[in-house]
Amino acid sequence: MAADSDPESEVFEITDFTTASEWERFISRVEEVLNEWKLIGETSNKPPEKGEYTSGVWEEKGDEILFADFRFSIRHHYLVQEAGEREETEDTGEDSIPVCMQDLLCTNNDFPPVAHCLVRWYGLREFVVISPAANDAVISESKCNLLLSSVSIALGNTGCQVPLFIQVHQKWRKLYVGECQGPGVRTDFEMVHLRKVPNQYTHLSGLLDIFKSKIGCPLTALPPVNIAIRFTYILQDWQQYFWPQQPPDLDALIGGEIGGLEIGKLPFGACEDPICELHLATTWPCLTEGIIVDNDVYSDLDPLQAPQWSVRVRKADNPQCMLGDFVSEFFRLCRRKESTDELLGKSTFEENGKEVADISQALSKLTEPAPVPIHKLSVTSMVHSARKKIRKHRGADESPLNNDVLNAILFFLFPDAKSLDGSEAKASTSTGNISSQSESEDYNLYSQLKSAPSDSLTYKLALCLCMVNFYHGGVKGVAHLWQEFVLEMRYRWENNFLIPGLANGSPDLKCCLLHQKLQMLNCCLERKKGRDEGKKGSPSSSEAAANRTPSDTLSPGEANKYEVAKSWDSWSDSEDEFFECHSDTEELKEGSQESARKAKEETKENPLPKPEGRLHQSGNLTLLRTGEPLYIPVTQEPAPMTEDLLEEQSEVLAKLGTSAEGAHLRARMQSACLLSDMESFKAANPGCCLEDFVRWYSPRDYIEEEVMDEKGNKIVKGELSPRMKIPNNMWVEAWETAKPIPARRQRRLFDDTKEAEKVLHYLAVQKPADLTRHLLPCVIHAALLKLKEEEAAEDVPSGRKAIKQIISHSSKVLRFPSPDDKKLEDVIGQMLNVEATIARARSLKAKFAVDRCEKSDEKEDLEKFVSSLLEQPEVPIVGAGRGPAGTIIHKMFVSAQRALSLAPLEEEPKRPSSSDERRQTGTDFPSPAGREVILRSSVPRPAPYSKLLPQRMYSVLTKDDFRLAGAFSSDTSFF
Amino acid sequence: MEEDILTTLKILIIGESGVGKSSLLLRFTDDTFDPELAATIGVDFKVKTISVDGNKAKLAIWDTAGQERFRTLTPSYYRGAQGVILVYDVTRRDTFTRLDNWLNELETYCTRNDIVKMLVGNKIDKENREVDRNEGLKFARKHSMLFIEASAKTRDGVQCAFEELVEKIIQTPGLWESETNNRGVRLSNEDGGGRGGSCSGYCSVL
Repeated sequence: MAADSDPESEVFEITDFTTASEWERFISRVEEVLNEWKLIGETSNKPPEKGEYTSGVWEEKGDEILFADFRFSIRHHYLVQEAGEREETEDTGEDSIPVCMQDLLCTNNDFPPVAHCLVRWYGLREFVVISPAANDAVISESKCNLLLSSVSIALGNTGCQVPLFIQVHQKWRKLYVGECQGPGVRTDFEMVHLRKVPNQYTHLSGLLDIFKSKIGCPLTALPPVNIAIRFTYILQDWQQYFWPQQPPDLDALIGGEIGGLEIGKLPFGACEDPICELHLATTWPCLTEGIIVDNDVYSDLDPLQAPQWSVRVRKADNPQCMLGDFVSEFFRLCRRKESTDELLGKSTFEENGKEVADISQALSKLTEPAPVPIHKLSVTSMVHSARKKIRKHRGADESPLNNDVLNAILFFLFPDAKSLDGSEAKASTSTGNISSQSESEDYNLYSQLKSAPSDSLTYKLALCLCMVNFYHGGVKGVAHLWQEFVLEMRYRWENNFLIPGLANGSPDLKCCLLHQKLQMLNCCLERKKGRDEGKKGSPSSSEAAANRTPSDTLSPGEANKYEVAKSWDSWSDSEDEFFECHSDTEELKEGSQESARKAKEETKENPLPKPEGRLHQSGNLTLLRTGEPLYIPVTQEPAPMTEDLLEEQSEVLAKLGTSAEGAHLRARMQSACLLSDMESFKAANPGCCLEDFVRWYSPRDYIEEEVMDEKGNKIVKGELSPRMKIPNNMWVEAWETAKPIPARRQRRLFDDTKEAEKVLHYLAVQKPADLTRHLLPCVIHAALLKLKEEEAAEDVPSGRKAIKQIISHSSKVLRFPSPDDKKLEDVIGQMLNVEATIARARSLKAKFAVDRCEKSDEKEDLEKFVSSLLEQPEVPIVGAGRGPAGTIIHKMFVSAQRALSLAPLEEEPKRPSSSDERRQTGTDFPSPAGREVILRSSVPRPAPYSKLLPQRMYSVLTKDDFRLAGAFSSDTSFF
Repeated sequence: MEEDILTTLKILIIGESGVGKSSLLLRFTDDTFDPELAATIGVDFKVKTISVDGNKAKLAIWDTAGQERFRTLTPSYYRGAQGVILVYDVTRRDTFTRLDNWLNELETYCTRNDIVKMLVGNKIDKENREVDRNEGLKFARKHSMLFIEASAKTRDGVQCAFEELVEKIIQTPGLWESETNNRGVRLSNEDGGGRGGSCSGYCSVL
């Protein structure tokens, strides 16, 4: 545009935007980026609030630019401010200097706890950095200068007022040089970085000297220099008594406690102190030159007298936490490929291996007369003898689980074993604790995590396996315990002992598959028991109960003698096995008497078979043809299903497709239940018809209407609904084929024997890795409850929030049938973090002796202080060195110093007075690990008549690092 | 074609016997009406692919028997469903009053709690209506469900009901992504709001 208005331009002339050299190209690229990010022009933001650099949000943008083939990354860092309208204002006048130059003098955000180093050094709210993209470094001085010139040109060309830095030398040195330009003003950012500190710069007076000489003030009387100082002290030696947690004694075995850990409990806490250092920063925020003396021989800077104290803690990077270890160790089992047999040695388990490994053999074994002496065995004795068998082969020493541990675990898992054999073992206390949680939100957590209720056998088993894995023999111990568990399951099945710790009824699909399988086994057991009892009547069962005496001495050989005692031939699975229901025997008697009476009355006209299997009368309904009351029959209960069976079945049903034939076949497949009900109905209601059945089964399909008969009387006339009258529909068809057979004589819809064997086989073939996958949700569930419990005791708000997040996260992860390992690791990692947080809170509370604090208001303050230490990067101490927290910190340093100088405690008398104390404080603290000094002034440069401009120098001195960062502004108007 | 499909959704149809569950499904999948449809035994199954807002979704729809006795059998199929259509007959009040039982059933057997529920009042073509539209609306609002009245016979509202349900499922985060056979439960609360509807004013999102 400018070219157009120029009269010269009407002459044929080309505006040349081509860039000749790499250097020009680089500059124009920088300008382009600055333009793109809209960093051109002035901003008129308020000076940042106190602490805004910490509380506010920092953002950054990045891009890449090339200098020839050398890659640079350019990044814009800025504090997000609310009214951050960048406008090209003209009315602000020429006097205004760029905001970033104003920042140099602003004292609101000195020593921010977390910030980019340039923010810390120069107090800037916004800046752009160009640094080598890869691990390259710009080292040669000429290259550095070239870059600096490029920056200078780019800033000049664009009118950008944001300071632009370039990083030079190796990255770790964090060495930057930069420039900021405003209208008629310029600030140069310079930096010195040294390993060794020249002696004269270790104190304030030396630093003031450099500052003054760098400014080269043209005035005779230098304007006052504003000074801010911060000394940081590090406390590493906490003294042992500040760390309360003792690692558990792994060898102890006392009663229910194994390895210092009660069975069914999870360990918790960090094994080492999760807080490794305390950093105390003592700050003098605003000093003036001359008020304070700090030179190589004397210093006024006593940390105890510093007006501001603040503390940060350094947390141990990866503290070893017991709960986290416990769970991740268990999770690691997922990757073990070995089967139980492989782990325990195949030959050692031959006998049992045969029966567990091959389902067909297992079944055939059932049809043979079994050598199991049911009457004489108790649960424990069975387990004992089985274990003896195993041990005989293996040799007692090789058994991965020690006998006491195994017994303790089995008693924990099967508390009923004690009552069954009346042994002297005490009731486990932990079971009571767990079951008391029912109905709470925690209790229902299992449905979110797809684990199992926290009082269930499955949950306890998961905890035991976890513990065995951690303390007792790792994967072999797990395999061993599992083998024992499967044995116990088989024993219970064969001897009609219900499995404890499982909810009644069909498998709960909200729980993990293993839990469902165990529930399924219990369902089978219940059916079998019901059938057996129905068959035998009460005498046999009481006899069996009476005969339950422990007989540990029984050997497998002897067991054969008891062959005769084999009860109830209940596990034969022949085709003509009938469903038998105990409950209908009484009904049967009653019903038969009644019907016999009725039959006598009606037998003349219509001889009907004897009704069988009646449950109860259905209201006032009577059979349409005979006028007999309509009885609801005893029916077979539907088959319980685990989710894998269900999946299988719905897949089969879905596979039939959506065609009419498919639908028909599907209906037929599912009509077994309908047919069985019809047969029961027919048996219970001799002389009934389909209409009768429909009135019970699907009342809406029997339509009743009031009609007038010929005589004008209202009568109710009923008929089947049109859909039931469709010729040859499935209902009619089934009705016609149904024979009057009571439920107990029908073929079983649910073959409990077969299903139980399937479950037992399934259990037997699970490898430790499979088990881990099955039970991990339970372990995560338990760990979450443990975290909750510990958090509640410690009251760590951040922990509480994190636990909620983990629950929601893990419930999403565990929803899928085979969750991703990576995601599971994440969940475990998150739990470990929370554990560490709680352990830190505990450690800090102990260190600051929160519990021992007597005054309630002080205690509250201390608690608040401790919790903010965990959540904030740096916490100011109310009352600095004189407040309650300050006093404690002071004492910590004193005792650490004492320990360091090896001065015996007794020799040191109690400090009598404060004046005395002041003299001695020099020894209370170690020499500061970091000294930071900020010097600021407004000085006209380069000439006395130049504008008054901000000058600043920051210095930091640590043990082997010295840095000076100066920002010196000058008026460019006449120079 | 198969690759275009965004997801497979499991939808369940429940309600008292004889309210027209199978008829609604038949109307939706085959666009036909059979006044003499046999009573369903156990569960039946149909598949249809539909496109909602350019997203193709394959619907595996499980139609269940309404008879009391079958109820012991069917809840197993509730597992993993993302959407459920709860049907009543506007001409039979008893089918409406029993809805609470069905909701309980759903609560008990459904493995997730963010399942999208739709209430359908069927048979609006009939004259002897016993349940007012407002009653249906009120019930649906109370239980945060979608609501529509329909007639499998005249095809009013049927297509719309299924489309709206699917759209709602797709809009519910975490309900359908990445897995077709979801198990377990999600934590998130009942979906609160978000008016989603391209559907000519029939459906009320409550």
